[in-house]
Amino acid sequence: MQISRVVCDLVTTKRAFWLASKPLRVVADHKGNLDVCVDPIGTKPGDYVITIGFSAARTAAGNPNITTDLTIGGIIDHWDEEIWRN
Amino acid sequence: MKICQVEGTLVATARIAGLQNRRLLIVKERGASGKQVAVDPVGCKPGDWVIAVGSSAARDAAGSKDYPSDLTIVGIIDYWDDQIGRAGGSKLETADAD
Repeated sequence: MQISRVVCDLVTTKRAFWLASKPLRVVADHKGNLDVCVDPIGTKPGDYVITIGFSAARTAAGNPNITTDLTIGGIIDHWDEEIWRN
Repeated sequence: MKICQVEGTLVATARIAGLQNRRLLIVKERGASGKQVAVDPVGCKPGDWVIAVGSSAARDAAGSKDYPSDLTIVGIIDYWDDQIGRAGGSKLETADAD
């Protein structure tokens, strides 16, 4: 699992069937690279989160049929940005 | 499997139900810059050198096929000298000198 920060919400009305109506978020890693992930929890921009990748992301989304390769697994309670950058 | 060093525990109260109440640790892969989060079924402490499995093997290692983990710790390395970059450390060093 990776540590990321939620950047913003992402809206896609026209989407693949098995992406269903899952909410999407844009997240940034410690280098600033952006990724899109499914959000089953309900996070807000600025939250530090754990993102789950690979095939575990599909299970984490709540249904193994969901076509995702990155899903938010939890919101980190306390996190120091300086530790994250170094 | 990857060789990682444990940096500390991670607290995440708001989490998906599938993650249950498992212990999560911040680990740093040997030679990599970024930090990662791993599920810990073994019981490690900060500073330990551990081996961790990734992708779908991580789900089985965490206890069940349905567990949503992509990095799980599977063992603590007994002796590890990071300068030499191999298991054994000073023990092997003296063996070589002989």
